[in-house]
Amino acid sequence: MSAVRLLLVDDDVLVRSGLRVILESEPDMTVVGDAGTGREALTVAADTDPDVVLMDVRMPDMDGIAATAELVARDAQRPRVLVLTTFEDDDYLFRSLQAGASGFALKRSDPEELVDAIRVVARGTSLVLPDLTRRLIASHAPSRARGPAALPELTGREADVLRLVAGGLSNAEIATELFLSRETVKTHVSSVLLKLRARDRTQAVIAAYESGFMTG
Amino acid sequence: MTPSVSGRPARADHPAVPTGVPRVGEGSGAPEGESPGAVVGQDRAVPPTTSPHSAAGTAARLRALLVAARPGWRGRALYALASVPLGVLFLALYLGLIGSVVALVYGVGVLLILLVLAVTRGLAGMERRLARRLLGVDIPEAERVRDQRGVVRKLRRLVLAPDTWRALGWLGARLLFGVATSAALLFGAALFVTLGWDVEWNPLNALPLLALMVADVVLTLAVVDLLVRLSASVAPRLLGTAPEQRIAVLQQRTRRLADRNKLARDLHDTIGHALTASLLQATAARRTLTPAGDRPLQPDFARQALGHIETNTRAALAELDRVLTVLRAEDGGRDPVPFAAPSLDDLEDLLAGLRDGGLPVALVVDGDVDDVPAELQELAYRVVQEGTTNVLRHAGTPLTVAQVVRSEGALAVRVCNEGVTQLDGRPGPGGGRGLAGLRERAVAAGGTLSAEHTPSGGFDLCVTLPLSGAA
Repeated sequence: MSAVRLLLVDDDVLVRSGLRVILESEPDMTVVGDAGTGREALTVAADTDPDVVLMDVRMPDMDGIAATAELVARDAQRPRVLVLTTFEDDDYLFRSLQAGASGFALKRSDPEELVDAIRVVARGTSLVLPDLTRRLIASHAPSRARGPAALPELTGREADVLRLVAGGLSNAEIATELFLSRETVKTHVSSVLLKLRARDRTQAVIAAYESGFMTG
Repeated sequence: MTPSVSGRPARADHPAVPTGVPRVGEGSGAPEGESPGAVVGQDRAVPPTTSPHSAAGTAARLRALLVAARPGWRGRALYALASVPLGVLFLALYLGLIGSVVALVYGVGVLLILLVLAVTRGLAGMERRLARRLLGVDIPEAERVRDQRGVVRKLRRLVLAPDTWRALGWLGARLLFGVATSAALLFGAALFVTLGWDVEWNPLNALPLLALMVADVVLTLAVVDLLVRLSASVAPRLLGTAPEQRIAVLQQRTRRLADRNKLARDLHDTIGHALTASLLQATAARRTLTPAGDRPLQPDFARQALGHIETNTRAALAELDRVLTVLRAEDGGRDPVPFAAPSLDDLEDLLAGLRDGGLPVALVVDGDVDDVPAELQELAYRVVQEGTTNVLRHAGTPLTVAQVVRSEGALAVRVCNEGVTQLDGRPGPGGGRGLAGLRERAVAAGGTLSAEHTPSGGFDLCVTLPLSGAA
């Protein structure tokens, strides 16, 4: 597997240089660029074609939320955005997930946790910080509470899979839970994402909560 | 009910609260945070001379009685009995007030009136506790006049606060209740005596007479009870907080909350930020010094990282010091002091801390800045704080000048430094988030912010703020 290409976006040069050294020391990661503002991030992303963007939230000249939205609008598949935050400010985090970020991590987390989160985002086979993320989405998503009928286009199996995805389970765990092969689960997840027009699992979970699917 | 001072479990000694008797008002809400033993002792506003029971033994017995009393029929009975001597006391107070108004003519009345009003407030405090303890009525504590700072303020509150006058009204009402209670008791007793003594008892009239006597007792008690219940329903209205005071308290709370939020934001922006950067630098430095595979060691990076950590931590500690000072001031004062925003006077302290950190920085203040509005002073402080911290963060320890110039109608604040002293001093693009925030605030204040590199390799941050209304 080739190295994950990373773009670091943070307005503090010390945060960037620290992250760069930490991440470069991982054999499966390479930092292809960095940027100090949201706007600069857009330019650098276009030039360097990263897999994952590590995005700060509060920055001068276009914040991380706007930059994430812009990146998603350009290309629904690449790059994925992992939001890096100093504090667990619920509101900012939910807004960045809504804007299209795949997950978030705390800047103060262990380097190992951070690296794991990046790998998870790059692979896309489960949620980052599943419990936190699910709670965040559940408490912020405006639910219209229409119940399981809210997403009628899903087959029964797909609905089961979506419920487990929203529960934070990885593909492997879902396979065990539903007595399916991993490949089958992968297929189901892909078709759920396609039907919900979600770019990744995080967005599918948001859609599940917002549609009232989860509250039904 | 709060546990008593003796540590007895609440209610354990009082299983006999009649459940069938509904309590008046919001009786179920027991007062909080007050130990019953302190009922008499805490009431310092009442001059001890006004108490007819000065003997320590009597006081202790009274206290014990109050401690044992709970809302319920016993509490109401005590309340009714107390209203007779208290009525006399309040009558004396009213006479004193009238007397002092008369004495106004002779010039000494003012002091007397103030004394009577102070006693009134003190008595109202006692009445509040009595009503809470004996009747179970929930009455909020009034603002304390003696918590106000300065004699003039105390006097203003004493005379102008509406609850002083409502307290006076309450004492009048209590006086009437006391009269009515006495009258009911006297009449009931007289009737009882008349029935019992003036009549020839014989087997024929004994039963009706007994029935009449019982009816007399019941009726008397019912009237007294009714009066007590009436007191309980009026008490919250006259002894409680006036609406305007509630609003003032609410406003004060809102203001404090806003201050807290501001403090939290400041902490986030300064200390949170500095610690995050330090943490990442430290983590990275450790990695560069840890041999792993074919990765080369980078002692240079580690050395620089340590330097960054040093300056960041120092700046964070300075900010922590400031925040703690604010919080301590808030806790220490009895009156919640408003959030002490930093002013231009605090600049010298700020820069002294930075000088300790190795930054050669000078402060130049031109013109009289004392009458600059507090908000602008704070903003100016922030400009210097952000500017100098950025110098440390991005340029190391070059010669730096912070300048505050007050001219006709404007305040200019400037931080400029000479060239970078650190090899890696790669300046952050467009400045930190602090600069963006500053720009927003400067624009909101009708001013401008410029931040640019100087030809000599330094940095120049300049904020100009209009002084509206200043000549």
